[in-house]
Amino acid sequence: MHVGEALIAHARAIAKRSIVVVGTAKNVGKTVTVTAMAEALERRAEAFGLCSIGHDGESLDVLEGTAKPRVFLRAGAFFVTARALLPAHPATEILEMPGEDSALGPIVVARVRTAGFFEIAGPPSAAALRRMIQRLFAHGAVTVLVDGAIDRIAAVRSEDAIVIATGAASGATPQSAAREAQALSECLRLPVVDESRAALELDGALTASMVTQFLRAGERRQIVVRDATRIVAAGRSVAGVARGLDLRCERSLHAVACTVCPAAPSRSFEPREFLRTVAGAVRLPCYDVYAGAAA
Amino acid sequence: MTAPWSAACAAEIGADWLEQEIAPAGDFGRRAREREHVFVLGDEAQAREAIARVYAAAEDVPPETLAQLCEAVLACPDPGMALARVLGDATLTDADLFELSRFVDGLERVRNLMTNAALAGIAMPPWPQALALTLRDGRTPQRGFYLSDAFDPELSAARAAAVALHARFDAERTRLRERIAVYAGLEDVRDGEFVLMRERAPAPLPAEIRVLREAPTYWLCEVALDEPARTVFTLLNAAEQRVAEREEAVRARLSAAVRAVAPILEDAAEKLGAVDAFVARVRFAQRYRTCAPEVAEVPCVQFVDARFLPLERSLESRGHRYAPLSLTLDSVGVLTGPNMGGKTAALRTVGFVACCVALGVPVPAASARVSLFDDYAWIGIGTEAERTALLSSFGLEVTQLRDVLSRAPERALVLVDEFARTTSPREGRALLVALVEWLRATGVIALVATHFSRIAEDAGAPHFAVVGLREPPRRSTEAVDLDAAIERIAEVMDYRVHRVAADEPLHADALALAEVLGLDPALIARARAVL
Repeated sequence: MHVGEALIAHARAIAKRSIVVVGTAKNVGKTVTVTAMAEALERRAEAFGLCSIGHDGESLDVLEGTAKPRVFLRAGAFFVTARALLPAHPATEILEMPGEDSALGPIVVARVRTAGFFEIAGPPSAAALRRMIQRLFAHGAVTVLVDGAIDRIAAVRSEDAIVIATGAASGATPQSAAREAQALSECLRLPVVDESRAALELDGALTASMVTQFLRAGERRQIVVRDATRIVAAGRSVAGVARGLDLRCERSLHAVACTVCPAAPSRSFEPREFLRTVAGAVRLPCYDVYAGAAA
Repeated sequence: MTAPWSAACAAEIGADWLEQEIAPAGDFGRRAREREHVFVLGDEAQAREAIARVYAAAEDVPPETLAQLCEAVLACPDPGMALARVLGDATLTDADLFELSRFVDGLERVRNLMTNAALAGIAMPPWPQALALTLRDGRTPQRGFYLSDAFDPELSAARAAAVALHARFDAERTRLRERIAVYAGLEDVRDGEFVLMRERAPAPLPAEIRVLREAPTYWLCEVALDEPARTVFTLLNAAEQRVAEREEAVRARLSAAVRAVAPILEDAAEKLGAVDAFVARVRFAQRYRTCAPEVAEVPCVQFVDARFLPLERSLESRGHRYAPLSLTLDSVGVLTGPNMGGKTAALRTVGFVACCVALGVPVPAASARVSLFDDYAWIGIGTEAERTALLSSFGLEVTQLRDVLSRAPERALVLVDEFARTTSPREGRALLVALVEWLRATGVIALVATHFSRIAEDAGAPHFAVVGLREPPRRSTEAVDLDAAIERIAEVMDYRVHRVAADEPLHADALALAEVLGLDPALIARARAVL
């Protein structure tokens, strides 16, 4: 099976045109997931754009030693990157320099004219990322893929479909890695507030210390955040430790699927068992891009 | 831009505010502004010409055209870095060429707007015709830039060869992936790393599979090229190398074309800056109903219905009306008047009007005649920033005065706001008389606001006064609301400044104002009795 096709289909099923891949850790196959979807869109000859959220810490890719995992793109693909990361060859069509900055300097919006490997870099702020997504749509992209980062999950919006990427790099055992994915998945699929019941609305983020206070105080009201991005801090979902609380959100986000990567630099899991374990935990359609398998 | 006023003085007379108001929109203009200088004594002809040009453009050019010009200048990317690179013999990147293309686009738009608007008085940026033609082949329908085949037939041929080889290589990889799929009984094998379960892969593994990593139950693999695929891959690499070389050759040729017109581009960038700075002044003149002042050779500050714009804006934002001022000052004048009557505002208006001329902009007044100065000084209890714990208000004023006197400028505008009001009245008055006499002797233009009596008479200086209360303000029977009290005072206060005749009786409005502001009536009554 082609996992990319399946992931695109999940996003289409809820009428989303921007798909953000959020990893539970580094080296969990985010870029491979993005590439799989890019390949699917290329097969369909559908115009698409590629962007990333900031520079999410993968300053050096473990396997390739490149500044960022490079993506092979064919003619017609739109992408956002830092001016400094544009390759001399193959030459690309530069569409605009929108006045945004990435950690590596000014950002350019470009279109691939000849197939090749490209590095993707995006703006560090949520607002700038949204502007870049809009620019890609304006230039003609029908779908925009975002190589996301859990540390920058605040950039995700309800208009995006979210694909969670997890892998052996996320935990010492398949179960612990699955728990990470489960916590993120539950957090992203937080139920919407029930207007008929008492609620405590939080203006900002829900932090771990607030969770502790609420648990100690035996808080029974719904605890309402704007959306799930407000309960993910420092790459971890606070919701995972808040099981005794009735967490709610004002607007829901849309996690549509999960991908797994059984291999990590320091360990590997049995692929089928890992896929089943994660699928059981996250209760989302789960795929192994490397094995071309689904659960 | 070096200004002939201190930071504290600039804040008092609204020079800071004015510089913000006439700030250019973009970096070109900001750099142009840095190269400008404030008009000082001796620059009368230039100031006259500069203001006349701004005023004429403000009269002739529609605001929407100016807004479009601003927008067009802002849309021009800065070619500075690209020019620096190319002049250092470096080859330009595609991003540099994109920016230069956009610069040329912007330049064309600015030139068209300037021509259509018949914008006179400012030099038209030059047009790099040769470069515009050269870059044309790289322009894409979305106003992007691409190192297109049109630049070089050899590049076109190299790319065609590479594309054909890409297709052949894709076909080879597909063939290998299909073989692997058949071998492992899989529907599909992804192009890249893939997992192959050991149970699906009877040993030995075929040559098409390269194992990247072994795990107990699977291999992490990728497609290994066989001889036919490797042959195509080698050809593809060579073709890609050829494309890369041709692309670099085109970039080198385009860089040479840019290098050849670098002086024109530098000149164009500089002139765009001048346009930006000029348009900012013209828009100011249109925004604030200004007049073209007469730039006088002899020292003076004279105006009719002038407005101190920072205060006018502030009052308007709170729903109040600003009263314009008229004044003729051709030596040292003494200004008196009631509290809250606008003495300080009058000083600021004098400074602001002079500052407008010094910065080359029309004056917000019905008419004005103003000379240039090489020093602007404000003496008074000004901004908090200047105060130190060890220096009293009087001490601060004295140091300000000492600094002004020590500079001994050829022509200065000195504005003195209630000098010595915080020291003993007898000595303070004496100091002020001496100061006015000294200023008169040095030939400066000065306005000295004070509550001390008979300063003008004793120093032999013209006496101006704020007209003051037209009638006693209405007293409220209810608890004093400060805003309402200020409103009532403003209703009956005549802020105009007039020249006081020798025998003219002067208003003393302090007690009436204190009463409106809520001071105990018994205390007011006792004060009246003491008077």
